[in-house]
Amino acid sequence: MVELKDVSFCYGSDERQEYGENSLSDVNLTIQDGEFVLLTGPSGCGKTTILRLINGLIPHFYPGLVKGEILVDGKAVDSQELYETALQVGTVFQNPRSQFYNVDTTGELAFGCENRGLPEKDIYRRIDDTVSRFGIEKLMDRSIFQLSDGEKQKIACASVDVAGAQIILLDEPSANLDYDATLALRDLILQWRRDGKTIIAAEHRIAYLWDLIDRAVIMRNGKIVWELGKEEKDTLTQDALTEMGLRSAIQEAPSDIGLPLFVEGDKLLRLKDFRFMYHGAKTPVVDILDLTISAGEITAITGANGAGKTSLLSCICGLEKRCKGMLEFEGRSYNRRDRQKLCFMVMQDTGNQLFTESVLEEVLISLPKNTENEKEHAIEILRKLDLEAFLDRHPQSLSGGQKQRLAIACALASGRKVLLLDEPTSGLDYTHMMETADLLKHLQSMGTTILVVTHDSELIHACCTRQYNIA
Amino acid sequence: MAYSAEKAQEKRRGFLDPRTKLALVLVLALFVMGGLGGDQLKGIKTILSVLPFLLLLIERQWKRFARGVAMLIVGYGLLLAMPYLPGILNYLALMCGGILTRFVVTIVMGEYLIATTSVSEFISAMERLHMPQAITIPMSVMFRLFPTIGSEWRSIRRAMAMRGIRLGGARAGQVLEYQLVPMMTSTVRIGEELSASALTRGLGAPTGRTNICRIGFRVADVLLLAGCAFAIVVWILELCGVTLW
Repeated sequence: MVELKDVSFCYGSDERQEYGENSLSDVNLTIQDGEFVLLTGPSGCGKTTILRLINGLIPHFYPGLVKGEILVDGKAVDSQELYETALQVGTVFQNPRSQFYNVDTTGELAFGCENRGLPEKDIYRRIDDTVSRFGIEKLMDRSIFQLSDGEKQKIACASVDVAGAQIILLDEPSANLDYDATLALRDLILQWRRDGKTIIAAEHRIAYLWDLIDRAVIMRNGKIVWELGKEEKDTLTQDALTEMGLRSAIQEAPSDIGLPLFVEGDKLLRLKDFRFMYHGAKTPVVDILDLTISAGEITAITGANGAGKTSLLSCICGLEKRCKGMLEFEGRSYNRRDRQKLCFMVMQDTGNQLFTESVLEEVLISLPKNTENEKEHAIEILRKLDLEAFLDRHPQSLSGGQKQRLAIACALASGRKVLLLDEPTSGLDYTHMMETADLLKHLQSMGTTILVVTHDSELIHACCTRQYNIA
Repeated sequence: MAYSAEKAQEKRRGFLDPRTKLALVLVLALFVMGGLGGDQLKGIKTILSVLPFLLLLIERQWKRFARGVAMLIVGYGLLLAMPYLPGILNYLALMCGGILTRFVVTIVMGEYLIATTSVSEFISAMERLHMPQAITIPMSVMFRLFPTIGSEWRSIRRAMAMRGIRLGGARAGQVLEYQLVPMMTSTVRIGEELSASALTRGLGAPTGRTNICRIGFRVADVLLLAGCAFAIVVWILELCGVTLW
């Protein structure tokens, strides 16, 4: 049983608040053994903070001021050591790239048990058991670096399972996953349901587990605002969810949406001979002989796992030297080098494409050479994207959504006519997803051609006008 | 057939024990990279220099082998071409050639250590050397972080190319700084998330750790360790003024 009694928390009481998260205030929550509870609400509502209080990372790793009691099976988490809590609670984190301590998958599964000094024979038996229950034989004895994000998340779940804790915390585990990988994650959670584990999940994307949960706890600004039981939550309409700032509860495959590729009267953009193969691969990941896309529209690029959506963007953008394709646009042919000046790509990890020390400088280096009134022009662009208040901020200190807007500001400044985005709304809540959708519509009205690789059906409904589904 | 972790671990056991690999890195760093020792050690040094390449072949690390050999060829090529080059180029060739021929062998050995040792094997080996956790844990994180830094680096380079920031471009002087800013933030973030995840899985517990990997000295280890010891003995005797041959 997990109990939070009158819990309040603020991060970094002695330092300044660097994490950008709200504190919790007067949270009371009791979770029974075997219950599956969903914590949801807009970004910064405190759902991740609750998980960190339960697994002890607060206050042992993330310092701050804790008031009230947090009990796991009757023991106070903040006064026991982290390795003691590790026996009771296992956590799957959001980022598949940064939660592995080992380089090989089998070592990763054994890690938790090795730390507590279980005999080797026991560990082998536990690993074999988890591997067969989860059906992950194919992922064993591989390098973590060769796995897709979906496969990494499976390994993260499996390593929690091998450790055998009764309480399992999921901290936005689907944020980086596409539609199929999310369904696979759902299957693993079902397995835990059958095993009678207590599961507490913090999520924005609620659709894939909405029908599995016993209770939904909806938070805002560090407070619990609604608690809905199994029957209550099923009576909620889509509008009521939207009202609460929640994502859709209906699971819809992006490839089923079926927008047209182009309609009569569209201006066109043609891709010819786009082929690209990874070193050592036997089949090309991108294989397009002739494809017509609508110019001046927002086209969603959808398709199954490994269909080469992101690789296609890199090829269009001219980042893959071995892709020799030509792009025809407004009566001109663009080879790879020309395309680098035509296209701008907003990458999934936006932080890796911001280089300077201030928001203003970031836009300034994107402007074409010899622009007149550089500074005024840059500020004008930042004003359009609601970033004017952050001129002197360090780009790396912005929130995820703000970094994305800054990258788009750089795209605008560079004057490139084709904007490519890779999963722009993964891990965003409803409000931020709608903000991105509105921004894309605004850019479209200025004449930009936009291609979005996405698994987010809601984003497609909100702003996309065309769709290219890679079969 | 059902998966068996025990059989799989037995099968993936490396050719050498991690402790032997560490000893080799150390000895190579001393004698080949550091250039310690006089004429007597010349023969030993040649044998030592060939070892990492041999080991890479034994473990079927074809790519790393090819890369190491290529770097050596470039190094010696530069030294050979050096006398025929004019002025500044002559100096540059000498410098690059010297650095390459001296450092490559040890770097290849280090690469071999990292490529063929799992984190579990490494921790296990360090524990058998009675290293305290305060040294073992940060070093084992490095194992994990090197490849991660590599992939972050590539992703940043691509992002720069996309934004049109290149060497030789208008703002060439700042290119390095531009690379380091996101690099450092992402490394710090990944390091932090990595630690958080490891702590929730009981890393640092005072109970004795177990390791599922198979390590231990076998014939090859004994031979190589004896070789390392021999090199060090010859060197110490030489320092004391004793010449063996």
